[in-house]
Amino acid sequence: MSAGKRKAWLRVAIAAFAAVLVLVAGASRSSGDSTPDIEKGKTLFHAKCGYCHLAGGTGTMMLGFRLGKDKSLLENRTDLSATYIEKVARSGIGSMPRLTRIEVPDSELKLIAAYLTRPASARENAK
Amino acid sequence: MALVLPPNVTEKAFQQALDAFAGVVGKEWVLATDEDRETYLDAYAPGDAKDHVAGAAVGPQSAEEVQAIVRIANERKIPLWPISRGKNLGYGGCAPRMSGTVVLDLTRMNRIHEVNEQFGYCVIEPGVGFFDLYNYLQANKIPLWMSVPANAWGSVAGNALERGYGYTPYGNNTNNICGMEIVLANGEMIRTGTGAMSNSPSWHLFKYGFGPSWDQVFVQSNYGVVTKMGLWLMPEPEATLGLSMQLPNPDDIGWAIDALRPLRLNGVLAQDPSLGNSIRVVTVQAQRSQFYQGDGAMPDDVLMALLKKYNLGWWGVNLRLYGYDEINEVNARLIKEAFAKYTKQEFAVSKWHKGEPLDNSGAGVPTVAPLQAVNWRGGRGGHIGFSPVLPSSSEHVLKQFHSTKKRFEEVGLDYFGSFTLSERYVTNVNLMLYDQDDPVMMERVRKLFRVLVEDAQKEGYSEYRTHLSYMDEVAHTFDYNNHALLRLNETVKDALDPNGILAPGKQGIWPKALREKRA
Repeated sequence: MSAGKRKAWLRVAIAAFAAVLVLVAGASRSSGDSTPDIEKGKTLFHAKCGYCHLAGGTGTMMLGFRLGKDKSLLENRTDLSATYIEKVARSGIGSMPRLTRIEVPDSELKLIAAYLTRPASARENAK
Repeated sequence: MALVLPPNVTEKAFQQALDAFAGVVGKEWVLATDEDRETYLDAYAPGDAKDHVAGAAVGPQSAEEVQAIVRIANERKIPLWPISRGKNLGYGGCAPRMSGTVVLDLTRMNRIHEVNEQFGYCVIEPGVGFFDLYNYLQANKIPLWMSVPANAWGSVAGNALERGYGYTPYGNNTNNICGMEIVLANGEMIRTGTGAMSNSPSWHLFKYGFGPSWDQVFVQSNYGVVTKMGLWLMPEPEATLGLSMQLPNPDDIGWAIDALRPLRLNGVLAQDPSLGNSIRVVTVQAQRSQFYQGDGAMPDDVLMALLKKYNLGWWGVNLRLYGYDEINEVNARLIKEAFAKYTKQEFAVSKWHKGEPLDNSGAGVPTVAPLQAVNWRGGRGGHIGFSPVLPSSSEHVLKQFHSTKKRFEEVGLDYFGSFTLSERYVTNVNLMLYDQDDPVMMERVRKLFRVLVEDAQKEGYSEYRTHLSYMDEVAHTFDYNNHALLRLNETVKDALDPNGILAPGKQGIWPKALREKRA
């Protein structure tokens, strides 16, 4: 793997690391326009989906190939519905494996979907 | 996915068992809907994923809950398929060998019980992922390095139990297991090694104990459920030194292995380098259709143009020395001298020192990046690997390389191979990348896999690990004295697990009552 690639993956690891720290601490910081649930959803998204769906992740790369770079980062998408997100997580799509309810329980998946479909007023952090 | 029952179990008895499991873990952690069963299908199945359907799944959070579940299963003869995190992608993922088996999903058992900096080990549960352990070490500033496989989504313990590889001097992950806690089929808990003493301070220091050593008996087997593992971690080195070179010709792999073997054997090179063909690099960055859309394997002229575009040779050599600057420099000189006998090319050299960012340090930093390769053919991607072990000499390596490449081309797949060099052998991982929705391609993949097993058997090469669908075939190649080893494995199986409830069929080991299921 090239040094550039390595850096990209290191960034993914560090981002996931930061997410887990927040998760472990049980923090539910409320910031600006975010509600506590959206913050929880963000933390869970980074911890459970961030392996592949943060910048430089394999899911981000695959979505870039298939839909274009502007739709590759799930956090920045505004065209997803909660129903669709929950369906994809349980059914898989393309080469993305399905996620079980032990790995991501329904209650967590709902928070993740709520974060990814959060209103514009709560989006400033992900830009 | 409709319910598939285990053999000889009625729907009523199955439901009663699930109710009993729920009494242990709570209803929330017994998964038995049609959708749940689909989530436990093999995501990258080389055949029909419905060949390996879970009957249900149960997710305990503690070793005590595992004991209770196993006791219930043993009493009611309900088969269980233990998984750590279920990310054994390419080998069956979270799916069981035998349909109807209840997946014992240990994902929730994710505690890091101890990380011992003084002696360099950790004690972890099976649900601890590579990212979890990495994050823990970083958060607590513990100067121990992990050995991380190409796909780091999975479980640290699970990977070691399946004999996975990383790339540091601790890269042969199963070698680092030292002392485990295991639940047997009757629900009894044992500890291996000196853990069998009630007060040993050396459980995770000394592997063997007194009398037979059991850790490796529970690796790639179906004799128990590992609920806790001691695993050695590598002290962070003062410095590392990387040596990289692109080899331009297909046959260069032969002399490269010959040049490196004595240096790996005598310890100048302490890690197992993986020498892969450059398709491996390209598949992580691009899709095949960007370069070639025709049928059949990618022609040589297209491949060469592609390698030129990415500034790659036919093979990539990436070596890493770990330790102290002065020693690394001497060892690097020895490696350079060995290569100078075969090539005028010089290595690209990179250095890292303690305290610098880990980029390009050679540390085991988890990533899921190489999984991108499954997107090579587009569609619903997937992969399986055929990975025989052979002696580390050019004679064996070149013969195996040419034979395998020819087989790939016969069925129209792009050759994707690597040779990971250990002290005395190489592990030749051949990856088949496919689109699961292309039935013609999938038929070719299955044909290729079977012919590779046959070819390898003729040479006496064994696979080190395989997909669920091929476990019986690979086990069958161990044919000395009318499969005496398999008969021993099954004698042990019947003694430890007379009701045959733990992972029936894993690694071709079937319990007495289910041997007719053997493929």
